[in-house]
Amino acid sequence: MALLEVKDLKVHFPIRGGIFNTVVDQVKAVDGVNFSIEPGQTYGLVGESGSGKTTTGRAVIGLNKITSGDVLFEGHNLAKGGRKSHLNVRKDIQMIFQDPYSSLNPKKRVADIVAEPLRNFEKLTKKEERVRVEELMELVGLSTEAIFKYPHEFSGGQRQRIGIARAIALKPKLIIADEPVSALDVSVQAQVLNFMQEIQKELGLTYLFISHDLGIVRHICDHIGIMYKGRYVEQGASEDIFTNPQHIYTKRLVSAIPDLDPNRRESLTVKRQQAKKDFDELSDKFFDEEGLPYPLKPISDSHLVALPEKG
Amino acid sequence: METNNPNIEPPKEIERSPSGLTILWREIVRDKLALISLIFFVATTAGVFIASLLLDLNEIVKVDLFALYERPSSEFWLGTDYGGRDIFGQLIIGTRNSLAIGLLVTLMSGTIGILIGLISGYFGGTIDNIFMRFVDFFMILPTLMIVIVFVTAVPDYSIYSFSFIMTAFLWMGIARLIRSKALQERELEYVQASKTLGSSDFKIMFTQVLPNLSSIIIVTMTLNLAANIGIESGLSFLGFGFPEDTPSLGTLISYARNPQTLELRWWIWLPASILILVLMLSINNVGQALKRATDARQRRG
Amino acid sequence: MWKLIVRRILIMIPQIFVLSLLVFIMAKAMPGDALTGLIDPNIDPAAIEAMRERLGLNNPWYVQYWDWVTRAMQGDLGQSFHFKMPVTELIGQRLVNTFWLSLATLIFTYMIAIPLGITSGRYNDTFLDRAITGYTYVGFAAPLFITALLMLFVFGFQLGWFPTGGSVSPGSAAGTWDYILSKAYHLILPAFSMAVITTVSTVQYLRSEIIDTKQKEFIITARAKGASESRVYNRHILRNSLLPIAAFFGYEITGLIGGTIFIENIFNYPGMGQLFLQSITRRDFSVMTACVLLFGIAAIIGALISDIILSLVDPRIRIK
Repeated sequence: MALLEVKDLKVHFPIRGGIFNTVVDQVKAVDGVNFSIEPGQTYGLVGESGSGKTTTGRAVIGLNKITSGDVLFEGHNLAKGGRKSHLNVRKDIQMIFQDPYSSLNPKKRVADIVAEPLRNFEKLTKKEERVRVEELMELVGLSTEAIFKYPHEFSGGQRQRIGIARAIALKPKLIIADEPVSALDVSVQAQVLNFMQEIQKELGLTYLFISHDLGIVRHICDHIGIMYKGRYVEQGASEDIFTNPQHIYTKRLVSAIPDLDPNRRESLTVKRQQAKKDFDELSDKFFDEEGLPYPLKPISDSHLVALPEKG
Repeated sequence: METNNPNIEPPKEIERSPSGLTILWREIVRDKLALISLIFFVATTAGVFIASLLLDLNEIVKVDLFALYERPSSEFWLGTDYGGRDIFGQLIIGTRNSLAIGLLVTLMSGTIGILIGLISGYFGGTIDNIFMRFVDFFMILPTLMIVIVFVTAVPDYSIYSFSFIMTAFLWMGIARLIRSKALQERELEYVQASKTLGSSDFKIMFTQVLPNLSSIIIVTMTLNLAANIGIESGLSFLGFGFPEDTPSLGTLISYARNPQTLELRWWIWLPASILILVLMLSINNVGQALKRATDARQRRG
Repeated sequence: MWKLIVRRILIMIPQIFVLSLLVFIMAKAMPGDALTGLIDPNIDPAAIEAMRERLGLNNPWYVQYWDWVTRAMQGDLGQSFHFKMPVTELIGQRLVNTFWLSLATLIFTYMIAIPLGITSGRYNDTFLDRAITGYTYVGFAAPLFITALLMLFVFGFQLGWFPTGGSVSPGSAAGTWDYILSKAYHLILPAFSMAVITTVSTVQYLRSEIIDTKQKEFIITARAKGASESRVYNRHILRNSLLPIAAFFGYEITGLIGGTIFIENIFNYPGMGQLFLQSITRRDFSVMTACVLLFGIAAIIGALISDIILSLVDPRIRIK
């Protein structure tokens, strides 16, 4: 059974305007998204900025109000009821944030930051809490002596580790990682990603990995969904997406992944130009009259593509 | 504001980084003018409160017909007023009263302002709209007039009703400030993070957002203290402040509304005027130094 | 743009409504009604009751409120029970005096603020700037009434340079040159006393605005193009810094109202502020309500004008 199942999720934001500040329009940030994640896997949600990938993640964890649709987590429908209604289910879903600088409260010491979830859900004595915090710090590879420091005394990578320590404090099942490394130096990105994979194995975590970087997603994700303007354009196993992309948008994204091998530079450039040409010429065919992707259609057991009706 | 708990003693000596408040304190000590101002303010406050315990209030406000309008002398250090009452004694009692009400009003209006600003900014939306329309409206109104009218209208007028009326019209400024800061804070990811970690809105507001506003609160409250002492003495000066039996610094200055007193009997109103000026200046100095300390761009060291 | 202005004007309507309600409640909250202080205790209580009835004082409050509002909108603010004359007539001359006082104050405010602010901003961290900053420091802390008292004491009584009270010398006939000069002469000290305090925030604003603008890219570009220093200041910096200040005058009105209450009291200047205080001590409540209402409307309109000008001048500022 899937750990998380999202069915026809819609998140719309009202646009207010006019003299009386009435609702004049809707931004359809997420407009009918379906996917499911199996336990222990890493699901990548990919798209450019404004595609709705972050909003999807935030809606699953309850930070954005869901307009319609279902979010089933181990059989509980999180779309029904407010943020407070499924507190004990929600503690099994945690989040790693994009910006390691603003996601840690600058006025709190690390001990307090990491202990925050423990204080909310587990009644621990001061001593027990201290022990748990130190365990977590060791787990994420930070010195236990650092717990009385403030976040600004750490580097970006260390801060992200503190964020991860906080996210795993409650031993969650699902972690939503919203661009967890995009604010970090490239040299640190790999460290943090490898570390995330290590603790995934160790703690049996499931990831919903949100990123704009296909290069990263390729390395760590089992399944991938590609979003465009609030909808899916393509979904499938990692292999399907990278070796057999069907949608012109996916093709273009895949061709844009940089490659370090200088011998393949030429052929890559040709491929990229071809993808751009296809995208420009065929976009009428692959997108509807509003420029939005069509509904998904299966082309194999694991692979779904948003193709036009007669495609 | 600090959340580290004193009863978990680190088993080994672990160095704790200085907290925000410690940094604020260091900045004040480094700024000589602010330090002198702070010492002056604390000394004056302590001085008048202790002295007023020793002074006999009845002795001071007793009318002495044989000593009307005495010039300063060894018996009356600052002379006497139209009722032959000792100005120096009144100055001490008046300073104590002015400071006490200034502090009281600052704390009350600060608490209300912080609460409303925090709620308004944190939740945003309709609540915010309603509160801010209300605050905008009262910020435009000439509140001094309205306070004067209320002071006249209240039956059983006392120091308490006076401070409540002042508070009722003085919380808006700080509410608006706190609201705009809270609005910025709630967009930061640490607030989102707290939500996903299961903290309630109430808890996030008071234990996560509020500490981040602590320095701006301290600065504003300090500057408000000076302003409120000014407003109180102004109202007392016009005759709409303290009840007559409780002298404030403004009451002493109000004798100067009589042109003869203003022109010829400077000892009655001038000391109180200068004292207010110096007090407000020193509180402002501390406030400005704190402001510089919280603004990293202007920090001195 | 039009949308903004219309919306801002629409906001004003409930503001004026709430103000009128507030003023009405205040009038009702006053100890005693209009007749309490007026009537001879010898008059038959039945006659008082009849008079009450006739004046509508026995009607439910909303009827009274409605009567009061409709009459006020027609320019009838009731009778002053102390002066035995219509409030509108009583206020007329006072309003003119307060208007001149406020105008003179505004002129002084800008006359002080602009040169000081520009000097302080342009030559920041020089001796001159420190002196000006020191002045703003003291001016920010000093209460208006103490400053005014000291000014009156020094320039009015000790040095005798200015008159110590009134709005015009007794004996000068209205309309003559002497009369106008005497009026202006009486205005200088009160207006200047108020301006030295109200100007402080403008000086500070102008200083920090200029220092900020000085470091902006477009100024550096202008310098790099070889523009002369005076051209940089006159064409680039001042244009950016002075416009918002000019637009602030509407917001100043609220402060001016508070100021005139003190200033008119201290300088014994027959304006609205003095009338307001007198009406309270004399329990002349129809005059009091009229003062609060007029001052309140003036402040609301002032804020409206400033908001609109600012939104025209500075597109970053949007009225919500």
